[in-house]
Amino acid sequence: MSGHFRPSRRAMLKVGLAGAATVASPAILRLTASAQSGPIKIGLPLALTGALGSVGQQQKRGAELYAKIQNAKGGILGRPIELLIEDTAGNPANCVRKAQEMVERRDCRLLTGITLSSEALAVVPKLAEWDSIFISSDNGDGRLTAESLVPNFFRANISGPMGTRAVSLYLRTAKLQKFYALGLDYAWGHNSVQVFEQEAVKSKKEFIGKVFAPTGTKDYSPYITKIRQSGADAVFLVLQGDDNNAFLSQAQQYRLPEKVKLLTEIVDLASIRAVGDASLGLIGSSRYSFTYDHPLNNEFVALWKKEHGTVPDTFEGEQWQCMKVFEAGIVKAGGIEAAKLRAALEDIEIESVKGKVHIRKCDHQGVQQGFMVEVVKKPGFDTPVPEVIATFPGDSTTPTCNTMTFKD
Amino acid sequence: MSTLALLLSQFVDALSQSALLFFLGVGLTLIFGLMRIVNFAHGALYMLGAFVGYSLGTWSGNYWLALAGAPLLVGLFGTAFEFSILRRLYRRDAHAFLMVTFGLALVVGEAVRLTWGSDALKVAAPPVLSGVVFLLDEPFPVYRLFLAATGIVVAVAIWQFLERSRLGLLIRATSQNADMANALGVDIKLIRSCVFGIGCGLAALGGVLAAPLVTASNGMAATVIIDAFVIVIIGGMGSFLGSLIGALLIGFVQVFGNYYAPDFALAFMYLVMLAVLVVRPGGLLGKEA
Repeated sequence: MSGHFRPSRRAMLKVGLAGAATVASPAILRLTASAQSGPIKIGLPLALTGALGSVGQQQKRGAELYAKIQNAKGGILGRPIELLIEDTAGNPANCVRKAQEMVERRDCRLLTGITLSSEALAVVPKLAEWDSIFISSDNGDGRLTAESLVPNFFRANISGPMGTRAVSLYLRTAKLQKFYALGLDYAWGHNSVQVFEQEAVKSKKEFIGKVFAPTGTKDYSPYITKIRQSGADAVFLVLQGDDNNAFLSQAQQYRLPEKVKLLTEIVDLASIRAVGDASLGLIGSSRYSFTYDHPLNNEFVALWKKEHGTVPDTFEGEQWQCMKVFEAGIVKAGGIEAAKLRAALEDIEIESVKGKVHIRKCDHQGVQQGFMVEVVKKPGFDTPVPEVIATFPGDSTTPTCNTMTFKD
Repeated sequence: MSTLALLLSQFVDALSQSALLFFLGVGLTLIFGLMRIVNFAHGALYMLGAFVGYSLGTWSGNYWLALAGAPLLVGLFGTAFEFSILRRLYRRDAHAFLMVTFGLALVVGEAVRLTWGSDALKVAAPPVLSGVVFLLDEPFPVYRLFLAATGIVVAVAIWQFLERSRLGLLIRATSQNADMANALGVDIKLIRSCVFGIGCGLAALGGVLAAPLVTASNGMAATVIIDAFVIVIIGGMGSFLGSLIGALLIGFVQVFGNYYAPDFALAFMYLVMLAVLVVRPGGLLGKEA
């Protein structure tokens, strides 16, 4: 072996580096070029499976229809929209990994659709490092636009505290006095129950107690028993997906609504369809409903019916609105570079399916109307539908900047 | 609500939840006991049962047909799967079965999503089971009583089947020593196909019975498979009676734990498993590991 030529480590390193640079340079050039021209890539790490799979699927459908319609019109700034969709199964660690892959391997700098607040809270600290903008379309946790706010995060949707606030404003004039709360045992559930408790106390109502159920709970009878025993006039629910369906089905089987009024932070059409009459009489805030009477919404609902043969659901509407915010920001910024897009999104105002949406500069929250709906039976519909019973101006339902609390 | 009424209601409820868990656990343990296969697709087959039950119920308008038909169809599917795929793998080690049943879980999950969509579907209990009875003046759903009763009936039926029927005898013989049973002329291939089908059918029975409580949804599989494994580990892999005890333990721990200490709801099940494994590493009625 000693007679063989052995290159020095230094020489090998030089050759290796030169080779790597040669191989990588076209890729780097291509990536830089694609960031300025080429398709506009929007990454959606979604909980397509698991207990909140139905929410992730809605977000996916909302984004896909937007991309299809917008691409038919020539995309944004003449660039086609390319959606990168991955399943996170609702796991924050998965979500960070999938988002990172989108950013680092596929040169995607725009993120949305991250389904769970716990996933969003795990992703936002990385946004600066990734030089990426993330616009939430469904994350409820108030902290994302308060103590956990980062410059590259925006929220186009109604947050948990905003939904809860709409419920509490509605309750100020209601006869109900004593309240209990049941939330899902993760970031969004705790946050919304906390805000509801504060609001109830402020409104001189009695807040009797609260309980949290793990995501994926199948038997809600222990919680139903607790609610029944509490002596509350109403229970405030912060549930979603399969958990919401299980609770509503079982609550009806235990005849809970005959004794306790069911209030919810979010009325979701998918849940109404899944549980049918068990949702009748449910009152809650709505992040989006096809029943909103607004010209842009009527247009959107007609588009949706043509595409899917049915009316759009909560997160389909929310995702659509979020994509519209993205579009307005990109057009205003003249591109997708994070610093320019951030500046463009701050203080932007668009006319959306829910009316005006104004992204506040101070905390990047989309200020928009709050809606209260009641689930009722209506002629012409097979299943119950949410009917708007009250609306509140965005100023009254949006918390003070960078907080989760309200002035009055 | 009086303490007695509360305890009675919780007791019956725990029985109903144990019944659902038992259908899952007993199928898994029967398959493991006979074939030494850990069936990762068990949760997916439970979900498939709920969706097949939904379609049968919608199509016929008859809940009872759905209740009988879904386990039968899923059982036949399980038998066909064993016959066409698993049978080729018996000479290989356990990893092959893990991969194949895990693959089956993915395929069934995606097939369900493509066939029935991603939204949860409503499965209503028939009118006769939709009402409430009053247990010491407290309303209690008739459907949960029906679940508890079904659990007891199915447990007794399986026990009698295993102990008294000729097929049950052959299953026990094959489970104890497959080579010896084979040498004595037992068609162990047929026995394996039957048992895999019965296990899958029991999972589907659990799914179709759970659907009125939780709706038929794509997320069903993920949440039950862990419970099923915990039950089988507690009871002892391969033990019928063990799976019954495991299901009862977990059913009671979940119902009482969620009520009296909801903050530790998730931990209780695992604490019980941990305690059992410390005392008896092979499970309560399993062979020592």
